[in-house]
Amino acid sequence: MTSEDGRLVVVFNGEIYNYPQLRTELESDGVHFCTTSDTEALLHLYARHGAEMVHRLRGMFAFAIWDQLQRRLFLARDPYGIKPLYTANDGWTFRFASQVKALVAGGNLSRDLEPAGVVGFHLFGSVPEPFTLYRDIRSLPAGHTQWVDAAGPREPKPFSNLAEVLAKGAANPVLAAEIPERVRDGVLDSVRAHLLADVEVGVFLSAGVDSGALLGCMRDAGYREIRAITLAFEEFNGTSEDEAPLADQVCKRYGARHVVRHLSQQEFVEDLPAILEAMDQPSIDGVNTWFVSKAAREAGLKVVISGLGGDELLGGYPSFTDVPRWRRRFGGLAGVPGLGFFARALIARVAPAFSHARPKALGLLEYSGTWAGAYLLRRGLFLPHELPEVMDPEIAREGMHRLRPLRCLGASLKPDPGSDVARVCVLESVHYMRNQLLRDADWAGMAHSLEIRVPLVDFTLLSALASSIPAIAKGAGKAALAAAPTTPLPNEVVTRAKSGFSVPTGAWIKSVVGDASSSIGQKPESKGIVSRRWSQAVLNGAALAKRPLEVHAS
Amino acid sequence: MRSSPAMLALVTDAYGGRGGIAQYNRDFFGALAKGGLPSVTVLPRQAPDFPMPPETIEQLPARAGRVAYSVAALRTALFQTVDVVFCGHLFMAPLAALIARLKGAKLIIQAHGIEAWSQPSRIQRTATERANLVLCVSRHTRAAVLSWAAIAPDRVLVVPNTVREVFTPADGSAQRAALGVEGKCVLLTVGRMDSRERYKGHDRVIAAILDLVAKGHDICYLVVGQGDDRARLEALAQDAGVSERVRFLGALGLQSLIEIYRAADLFAMPSTGEGFGVTFLEAMASGTPTIGLDVAGAKDALADGELGTVASEAELSAAISRTLDQPKPDPVDLATAVHARFGQKQFANNALNVLGRLTETA
Repeated sequence: MTSEDGRLVVVFNGEIYNYPQLRTELESDGVHFCTTSDTEALLHLYARHGAEMVHRLRGMFAFAIWDQLQRRLFLARDPYGIKPLYTANDGWTFRFASQVKALVAGGNLSRDLEPAGVVGFHLFGSVPEPFTLYRDIRSLPAGHTQWVDAAGPREPKPFSNLAEVLAKGAANPVLAAEIPERVRDGVLDSVRAHLLADVEVGVFLSAGVDSGALLGCMRDAGYREIRAITLAFEEFNGTSEDEAPLADQVCKRYGARHVVRHLSQQEFVEDLPAILEAMDQPSIDGVNTWFVSKAAREAGLKVVISGLGGDELLGGYPSFTDVPRWRRRFGGLAGVPGLGFFARALIARVAPAFSHARPKALGLLEYSGTWAGAYLLRRGLFLPHELPEVMDPEIAREGMHRLRPLRCLGASLKPDPGSDVARVCVLESVHYMRNQLLRDADWAGMAHSLEIRVPLVDFTLLSALASSIPAIAKGAGKAALAAAPTTPLPNEVVTRAKSGFSVPTGAWIKSVVGDASSSIGQKPESKGIVSRRWSQAVLNGAALAKRPLEVHAS
Repeated sequence: MRSSPAMLALVTDAYGGRGGIAQYNRDFFGALAKGGLPSVTVLPRQAPDFPMPPETIEQLPARAGRVAYSVAALRTALFQTVDVVFCGHLFMAPLAALIARLKGAKLIIQAHGIEAWSQPSRIQRTATERANLVLCVSRHTRAAVLSWAAIAPDRVLVVPNTVREVFTPADGSAQRAALGVEGKCVLLTVGRMDSRERYKGHDRVIAAILDLVAKGHDICYLVVGQGDDRARLEALAQDAGVSERVRFLGALGLQSLIEIYRAADLFAMPSTGEGFGVTFLEAMASGTPTIGLDVAGAKDALADGELGTVASEAELSAAISRTLDQPKPDPVDLATAVHARFGQKQFANNALNVLGRLTETA
């Protein structure tokens, strides 16, 4: 879109949820709108506030504004990184796109691998920003802006920082008793904002707390005629693992129309090539999102609400317990320089079977000395010392040098968020959720022309809950969320959610990658092994370059 | 950084130096001095000719030995204000990084060509990763630096070589008559003939001559430059049966060089090792079309085919033939386009942009 005077041109991917307020403000300042699109608001905001405009936006966004007068380009990406933005600079030409694939397809870029991207994928199961799998392509980090002019692209500058918001919150903590009300107000406000649309908005519904509570809040926000999409697996029909009956109960409670989409192993196998094709960067996840998006699309929906982010925001993951516990138990010993390394080397020597079967147990002494290390241990697919076994040792060494995973994890905790819950919240939000969950939601949704909206991934909501998060005890966050709708979620949902659900896609993946894959991990009983094999299959699959990537030692 | 920063430049050569790197350094310091860098102190390794730096630039006596050079650099840094350290060669990067650290100064590292194409020593790499800015003469050199250095890509800039204003187009027929090549199809290469390098592509041109003659081009190949590989190339021409079509003219002074550029029909340098290839610019600024390979920095000098012809090695001969068959571009138009893109004014802008970027970086 071009501004009325022709000076500014914008390309925009995303959604600005506070558009009505922004428009009212701008119009009362005498601004004339030519369209009814939120894209136009970006042009007016830029013209008035320049780079500072980003602080006024609520939503998911990646955009670029070309200023014809000043001959410079302004790029920005939302604080959580819901929308992707990739750049490539060869020293003469600056290119940007919302997909790595698009930049590759545009040509004139080398396909040389970025060792940091390869190593990052093996450590985390997704490629950590700002790296991609290609050396010539980078991601504009979430919550950053970037200027480009004749003197070249400037280094991206941060405009928001999750750790800082939580650190401020920790300075004025609230009482635990106040949490439910704050969660209710914050979530309802966010859901309301996320319902802004000129088409029907559906919801992804599992039998968990997050999506159920969002459905309840949609109802509270005055939304009627809601369609809820649930994925059901044929294997689980009639078993306690089947989420559909419980989800159905939730639908009945809130008067939503329930669409249950059954998925079979056969369909999974059939879709696998398309999934790998749609994947913009390798990821060991995203398969479930692919199918539930497919179901929503089949139901004719173009926009859905998803409960993604609830676990990160409200302490839902086991990591909220594990990471602080490991820090307490092993952190002291791990602080002794070299001890962990020597212990690992020793055990690998005297008990090689143990060290192969439980690589992470060995890492406890080595990594739990810092928050970053303990988190890497919790989320890690492979640990750094295992990398030379699964790839060319030179790429592993180079990748570690370029990625510096511990320093990069540690940097996200500056300033210190001030409490255990907040620290894990930041680590999960800034790494796992950003590089894996949100990216998967983007490609899996986009492949079905579906816009996935995530009210629990909202900077305004985070700011509202910043002073509550430190006080969230185990389970309390989810309980507060379950109680957020005027009519709370059925008790069964809260109780059932605690024991967790399983999906058969893990087993299906196993049947696909099987034993044929490679010799990674010697003991298949270990839970992470399938993921490890899958990661190799994804990387070697048709996913990216349409040619095998030469990262593995032959 | 202070508003009028002082720069210490550690270079192989600048004023009183002879090669392309010396020229680049002079162009760069000159542009900075004109554009607001009040104090530039240059410490060269060598200065074979009498150095005549402009007024605001001080060049210290050359120190050839590594130890003597390092001592001189550290002593200079100790007694002077240094806000910016410019390192003109990767080889000196560790020393430059050390001085930058001691003085709390910003560090610029300049990468030209082949020295930066493969991973350097560990300390040179670490020094490069500490740089505030790395300047590369071409996209190829930049990509190479990024392949071995863990440095933010936005800190690695391309600042292409420039061409001096003395290279202008004019009628070359007098020179052609003097050389006795009237009516011939004159190919020209200007470059060093170094037996350790052998990448300039003289071999490839010599190998193409018979084929070009068969296609009806009455070729005369002029080779300008000196070096210890000349005898081998002469023998090569002999063996190929084209020695009467190849003429080695040796090294030429500036004025003769300009006239030779003007006299040629096509400047051909199918080199595989150019950091940039400033002689392409000199030829085109003299109004002569050029051809090079799609390898390394030459693509930049030829502007991806917009200014000169970019050929693959396999079809070099056919591409030369095609270019000779085409009507010659208007020399004045070609020279104007080259100066517009790579002229002194553009170079000065680039140099000042670098200074601006340096002030911004943390």
